Amino acid sequence: MDYSQAFEISASGMTVEKLRIDLTAVNIANMHTTAGADGTLFRPLRVVSRPGAQNFAGLFEDGSESSVYKLRGAQVFAVQEMTTAPRMVYEPGNPSADATGFVALPGVDHVSEMVNLIAALRAYEANVVAMNAAKNMAVKALEIGGNQ
Amino acid sequence: MIQEIDTATMGVLRLALDAASLRHRVIAHNIANANTEGFAPLRVNFEDQFDAVRSAIGQGQPIERGLLDGLRPTILQDAPLDGGATAKVALDMEVAKLAQNTVHYQALLRGATKHLSILGIAVTEGKR
Amino acid sequence: MNIDPIVGIPPAAAGALSAQAGEAQGETFSKFGTWFGQQIAEVNGQLQRADANLQQLALGDANNLHQVMINLEEAKLSFQLLMQVRNRALEAYQEIMRMQV
Repeated sequence: MDYSQAFEISASGMTVEKLRIDLTAVNIANMHTTAGADGTLFRPLRVVSRPGAQNFAGLFEDGSESSVYKLRGAQVFAVQEMTTAPRMVYEPGNPSADATGFVALPGVDHVSEMVNLIAALRAYEANVVAMNAAKNMAVKALEIGGNQ
Repeated sequence: MIQEIDTATMGVLRLALDAASLRHRVIAHNIANANTEGFAPLRVNFEDQFDAVRSAIGQGQPIERGLLDGLRPTILQDAPLDGGATAKVALDMEVAKLAQNTVHYQALLRGATKHLSILGIAVTEGKR
Repeated sequence: MNIDPIVGIPPAAAGALSAQAGEAQGETFSKFGTWFGQQIAEVNGQLQRADANLQQLALGDANNLHQVMINLEEAKLSFQLLMQVRNRALEAYQEIMRMQV
């Protein structure tokens, strides 16, 4: 059903954006954590998403109608750790301080995480609007022929 | 008496409407238990029982009434996620499924109404 | 808006029209029957296609929701038109049969 595909596509977009918000929340929550018992410092995480169709470029070369119906929205490709350098803060009294008195904190950029949060939220709302529009279109299509 | 001259369309529509209303109850059940510990979401499995019916439609043949007997929508549990944890209820996905199911139910009802009104025209000879 | 005055048909064209009507009269009688038969077959095909579309929608195979609805509505209207043509033809036949010789 073509109208159910519209729902699936918007739903996939919403899943990707929700994961993005979750990962941003994880990054912000771990902004000030120091290295754990095994010595590894938290690394900020990032979502890598790809279009859901198999061969996106090939879809439009193939002129048949059925190829358009292979559009599947977005999918999460990977969750990557970002390799940003840790922030060094001078705090000699901290038990986690190294020999020179610096504490290594995760390299989470507060400002860009907030921007990601807002962008992901707006994208999520836009997906919801798209799904509502698809639903309204389907309901209107049912009114063809009047109330007989 | 109208079933004698009608095709199996009403039978298929009735099954699909049953499945849609069952699906609504399952989705409402999932939403109500969104915060329950250890709850695995359920879903309705229906459309893939229809291969015989589908091939009959594809070849343009009328559907035998016997094909539809014994076809029932079934409730399945979602498979556990990788790692052995039970699947959790994704609330926004359930609400999206609810919207889609509502539209599908309305579409089936409109189709059934139109189909019966066409038969009504034949029965009343076009006179109101 | 340009309204043309009513102009009489020139005599040459009037002759051509009456000649056509004369030779068509012999054919129109059987033509209506065959035409009506063709229309019945066509409306039947439309109804069957609309039926198949509806079954596909119920099974979840429909490609186009609005196409299904349009096909249904067109089939219904065609059927209504067919019924009305049949009713008028029947009335005309009954009226002729009622004529006293």
